Amino acid sequence: MESRREPGRPTRERNESQVPKGALRDDGSVDEVAAVGLSDELAVALYEHMVLARRVDERLVAAQRARKIAAHSSGQGDEAVAIGAVAGMRDDDWVFLSSREVAAANWRGMPLFVSAHHAFATGAVAGHGRNPSVPPAFRRARIASVSPLAGTQITHAVGVGWAARLRGADVAALVFFGDGATSRSDFHTGLNFAGVSRAPLVAICRNNGWATSTPVARQTTSQGFAVKALAYGLKGVQVDGSDVVAVLSAVREARARASRGEGGTLVEAVTTPRWTEANANDQAQDPLVRMRRHLEFRGVWTAERDAQNNASLTAEIDDAFAAAEGAAPPNDESLFDHVYAELPWHLQQQRRDLIRSTGARR
Amino acid sequence: MTERTMVQAINDALRCEMGRDDRIVVLGEDVGKIGGVFRVTQGLWDEFGEARVIDTPLSENGIVGTAIGMAMYGLLPICEIQFADFIYPAYDQIVSELAKLRWRSGGEYSAKMVLRAPVGGGIRGGLYHSQSPESLFIHVAGLKVVCPSNPYDAKGLLLAAIRDPDPVLFFEPKRLYRSQRSEVPDEPYTVPLESAHVARSGKDVTVLAWGAMLHEALIAATQASEQGVDPEVIDLRTLWPIDIDTVVESVQKTGRLVVVHEAPKTCGFGAELVALVNEKAFVHLQAPPARVCGFDTPFPYALEMEYLPLSHRILPVLLETAKF
Repeated sequence: MESRREPGRPTRERNESQVPKGALRDDGSVDEVAAVGLSDELAVALYEHMVLARRVDERLVAAQRARKIAAHSSGQGDEAVAIGAVAGMRDDDWVFLSSREVAAANWRGMPLFVSAHHAFATGAVAGHGRNPSVPPAFRRARIASVSPLAGTQITHAVGVGWAARLRGADVAALVFFGDGATSRSDFHTGLNFAGVSRAPLVAICRNNGWATSTPVARQTTSQGFAVKALAYGLKGVQVDGSDVVAVLSAVREARARASRGEGGTLVEAVTTPRWTEANANDQAQDPLVRMRRHLEFRGVWTAERDAQNNASLTAEIDDAFAAAEGAAPPNDESLFDHVYAELPWHLQQQRRDLIRSTGARR
Repeated sequence: MTERTMVQAINDALRCEMGRDDRIVVLGEDVGKIGGVFRVTQGLWDEFGEARVIDTPLSENGIVGTAIGMAMYGLLPICEIQFADFIYPAYDQIVSELAKLRWRSGGEYSAKMVLRAPVGGGIRGGLYHSQSPESLFIHVAGLKVVCPSNPYDAKGLLLAAIRDPDPVLFFEPKRLYRSQRSEVPDEPYTVPLESAHVARSGKDVTVLAWGAMLHEALIAATQASEQGVDPEVIDLRTLWPIDIDTVVESVQKTGRLVVVHEAPKTCGFGAELVALVNEKAFVHLQAPPARVCGFDTPFPYALEMEYLPLSHRILPVLLETAKF
């Protein structure tokens, strides 16, 4: 679990010559090529969803510290990766999240109450309190079910893209993972299968410099992660992961390549995690600060609108979390549902045993 | 009806069902043009094309992982793991992802697939081409495990496994691939999962076996009958979920139990079978349940026939248990 603040951690050391490609400039302007097709409406939506992501994450961090939930992997500082990437895909594409991108599911229309009930492991949503350490599955929006195991979902995403390609459908898969996952076989196997099958895949490696407490230099000695794509016949690109426009632009380009039958892309999004003590107040690399500056530059965002947005978000989150916090846990008997499509004899028997024992406990 | 080997019966099942259900894709190492190292998928590549019969890179982890994605998308993958001994790189995907997908998503997703793998010894395969890892999968909630003992059952069970909504591990005893021949209907039919078969009726001792060792148990039973002991031999066919009623009814009748399997004895499926019988038919037992199994060693090359629980090892246990 990567939930706790690690006070002893240093800031990431970044070689200035390796600063990845960005689009948003310090004065609030944006690279015109990267911003092609970025309407005022879309720019505002990207920002609002990043703010929603931050506010929800803050609540979950607080709930975890108050021991109301067992664990939470903070996505603060990674909002531009989650939102920029999902916004760069098409609506019928599939999305495989890892621990920190629940906001991407909200972008796809998953209501806040689903995230809240899922986090509090209640019986009110499909998750039945079974897998709360990662974002919920949400089939209606093709948000896949994932485990908290690093990188195991990469081959699943390849399989979805491969299946679509076999069936001649222009449907792609987006998969997120952290830099630590690149040390596991699933990463190498997944990228190799993607290369061989030419599956329409957009793989996002969040490089925030750390896997739990292990620095990136202990995951790899290669110059970043994007270069690893080359060996598998994929395209590799590195973007500034604190820059939502840069992420959106890179993913759109990768998605277009996939449609053209040119195969998969590995996008390395370099971010600054805000869950380290040293970076918690880093304004320069805060993806929200950078996008808001751009909205102000465009003239589509004011202090008044910001206040309104914050107030309505707060109310919406309050409602969802209050309802989830007070909601009942799943029924005891639900433990046995969905293990198999139908309940086999041994689980029928174990369910009877559980009901009998909980009856005795009461 | 056509006389078929087990390889031909499984091949026929795949061809039947691929023609009927276009969601099915067959994938694995060397399954395409050459039809797999045992030729189980021979001819499918020519008949159904490379979009449905897919030679994958050499990675069991990748085969199962991508098959999970394909199944989520709506295809029905039938994966060949070249030898069950090679399945361990995919164990994480099978245990952590495939088996838990329906449960952890509250039924929003599942990944219906069949994982076919040749199991067992007796073909001079040595320690990496002879293992019987069924209990490692029976222990995992969410999986079903099947192991046929003859060509007729192989076709019918495979069709039932493909049509079942849950992921199924279909273990094919490679020693029987070409040594067993039987009449197999040309048309599709199913042998229901979770239905054991009483391969030999008897009254003195119940023998539970499956796969290649079923035939050793039958030989031992015939020899025992010549010495006045009349064993009942049950072919479990589906190992999990097991047809518990057939097992319990038999033990209630005979009062005695012998389990035979190739896998190592300790924590093998025999241990669970003995426990189940103790729980459900203890008062009927007149002798300690016995196990005749592989030894708790790696599978040997040079001493293969000493390792396997062949009829000469089963027979004395049958007699001792019957006369206890």
